[in-house]
Amino acid sequence: MRLHDLYQRYHHQVEFLSVYIREAHPVDGWWLGKGLLGRLVKRFSPKASTDLHDPTTIEERRAAAGQCQDSLAYGIRTYVDEMDDAVNKAYAAWPTRLYLIGENGRVEYAAGLGPYDFWPSKLQRAIEQHLAQKEPAAA
Amino acid sequence: MPLKFFRENLQYRNKHTAWQKAHDIHAPKVGDLAPDFELTDVTGVKTVRLSDFRGKRPVALIFGSFT
Repeated sequence: MRLHDLYQRYHHQVEFLSVYIREAHPVDGWWLGKGLLGRLVKRFSPKASTDLHDPTTIEERRAAAGQCQDSLAYGIRTYVDEMDDAVNKAYAAWPTRLYLIGENGRVEYAAGLGPYDFWPSKLQRAIEQHLAQKEPAAA
Repeated sequence: MPLKFFRENLQYRNKHTAWQKAHDIHAPKVGDLAPDFELTDVTGVKTVRLSDFRGKRPVALIFGSFT
């Protein structure tokens, strides 16, 4: 199950928000774009960028987020964390993480730390459970 | 060269893990009230607030970057 499929299946019932946070592997950081590693990244994550520097202004971050939104084309609108990384820090989200928040504002599902626990299939199970609880019991 | 490559990657990995552990202590867990936020989209024009959806729809939050 990919995020795109999740969105297609549930977007009438669930609001999907993509939050763009600081780069995981920029050229001027833990860069995975060179050598054998770079070739592997290109092969297994062809839509990921390997030539971005870490943005230093919100305009640069918005531009990177726009490129990402266009490249991944999930259909999910992307919102951009500010340069103080406040939302990223509040959710310990870097480099990537998934959550499901219920209508009551409480966390229904919190994935483990990314990228190791970034499994859209787990988010799907949480969505299914949440939606099932909302359905009225059969007569 | 391979040794330098592995050492560099290990250093970055340790740095990332330390950041995650430091912030995960305060991150919301299942049952906690999710921290509210207000952010703008890639154009800087359209704004969203997490609490806008309270009482209306569940929200799937997907955090990540292009790299």
